[in-house]
Amino acid sequence: MEILIFVKQVPDDGIEVHLDPAAGTPDTAKIDKIANAFDTYALELAARYVEANGGNVTVAAIGPDGTDSMLKNLIAVGAKKAYLFKDPSFEQGDEASTANRLAQLVKKCEAENGAPYDLILCGKESTDEISGQVGARLAEELSLPFVSSVIEITPDGDKLIAKQETDEGYIKFETAMPAVYTIAKPGYDPRYPNIKAKMAARKAVIPTFSAADAGVSEAPCYVECVSYTEPPKREAGLKIQEKEVADTVAKAMEILIKDKVL
Amino acid sequence: MEILVYIEVKEGELVQGSLEALAAAKELGNATALVAGDADAAAKAAVYGAPVVCAKVDAANPDAILGAVEAVCKAKNADAVFFAGTQWGKDLAPRLASRAKTGCITDVTGMEKDGDAILYTRPAFGGTVIEKMKNHGALQVCTIRSGSYSKPEAGAPASIEECDPGEADIRVKVLEAAKEITEAVNLEGADIIVSGGRGMGSKEDFQLVVELAKVLGATVGASRPAIEDGWISRAHQVGQSGKIVAPKLYIACGISGAMQHISGAIGSKYIVAINKDPDASIFSVADLGLVGDAKQIIPLLIEEIKKRK
Repeated sequence: MEILIFVKQVPDDGIEVHLDPAAGTPDTAKIDKIANAFDTYALELAARYVEANGGNVTVAAIGPDGTDSMLKNLIAVGAKKAYLFKDPSFEQGDEASTANRLAQLVKKCEAENGAPYDLILCGKESTDEISGQVGARLAEELSLPFVSSVIEITPDGDKLIAKQETDEGYIKFETAMPAVYTIAKPGYDPRYPNIKAKMAARKAVIPTFSAADAGVSEAPCYVECVSYTEPPKREAGLKIQEKEVADTVAKAMEILIKDKVL
Repeated sequence: MEILVYIEVKEGELVQGSLEALAAAKELGNATALVAGDADAAAKAAVYGAPVVCAKVDAANPDAILGAVEAVCKAKNADAVFFAGTQWGKDLAPRLASRAKTGCITDVTGMEKDGDAILYTRPAFGGTVIEKMKNHGALQVCTIRSGSYSKPEAGAPASIEECDPGEADIRVKVLEAAKEITEAVNLEGADIIVSGGRGMGSKEDFQLVVELAKVLGATVGASRPAIEDGWISRAHQVGQSGKIVAPKLYIACGISGAMQHISGAIGSKYIVAINKDPDASIFSVADLGLVGDAKQIIPLLIEEIKKRK
């Protein structure tokens, strides 16, 4: 099976993002860029799938300079091929624009791969904008079956069974191929690269394409971000740190009772 | 403004988030509620005053529901379609928007009219940044983040209209829907929540959080790391990707305070944080901070609370 995963490069979500006071926009310049966590879960799930059932995993990303090193890291942890799409025009737009471009890029990826994809995966959401729309919109752009928050995929003849995580448990869906799924966190973590894989990935050359190279036409855009603000700050209260834990607890109890919380 | 609201039904009950979306719609314009499949549920929806359309479709299949929403949206000539900020809502809204060639705003916490347009408010980057958005597409599509609106007042029932939305484009087949988590975890309605995070160290020590909750008559919450390490079921997750809560008292044990988590608990009246790192960001939002190992502090706290009972 040929699997294509679209990966987004995001600011490290362990670091708080604040507004640049001069520009009034989110200041992410100094924050390390990493592969979106849910996209790395998608890669691990796909890598395990092809290890068990055969096939290849391709990762592809739209992104600026530096995105190629993220893609190299992904080659070290299960991806066989990687493509980068880099163009100033790709940096503008909303979720509709991104999904429309990705739908157009599938064809370019297939031409480069020399084979069509049976399954297209995205993370269920990105950790920066957290809008969770792109996978769903991509499925619609391509008129393909869509299942979100998948944590397990099993082959079933010429069909796939996708296990979707829900609030209470799970739902199992059957779909034809190709299909578009978004991936939630399965019950395992993405692998760490071993030295050999790391060395090989470092040498990998990531084919990079502009909008013109990839044959991407102008994408629609509907949503405009009018302004950014920061939410009102909550004031920090009292912090207790006594030498003895018992004293810390005793003091805290006093305050909780005084504040009528307990 | 004609606004269609898709009302989700779970085990015969209307989903709270859908009622919040209905409240948001009633505030902004003329709301119509859309219920898939279930006549009893349609009757329950009607008491909130907005006319109800009950579409005869297989409510277990998302493709069937999407087809129904699309058909009713066209038939009613709706200007906007609102969804709850649930998993289903978040799946259906962008798909509908894609089909209608328009934008979609997810996780909306507030809306105001700006002439004929809607100005949406939503959090990004885990809640450290608030965005104001406008959708220049013809149809307005959004999901409402749970806890952002209170559910509408019940009153005299509105009309119910049955509708056959016709054939939908069905691309997935539902094989099995299973319930693994049977415990009812009412985080949204809790007065006190005791939450644990990675700092609890292990599944065994996470039990201290459960014990403290028991002594206080509180609901147990958890941050994403504790869920992902399997210390407690995801029904307990508080935060951006879990539940948004607003209890009178929120006790965060061994939680460092990633924005992802804090944004889900920031609406709490009083926040107590227990963490051994004095610089943990949770302390910057806590009314009271206890610096120390939660594994040592919680047993003493339990003892003290028991003494005072």
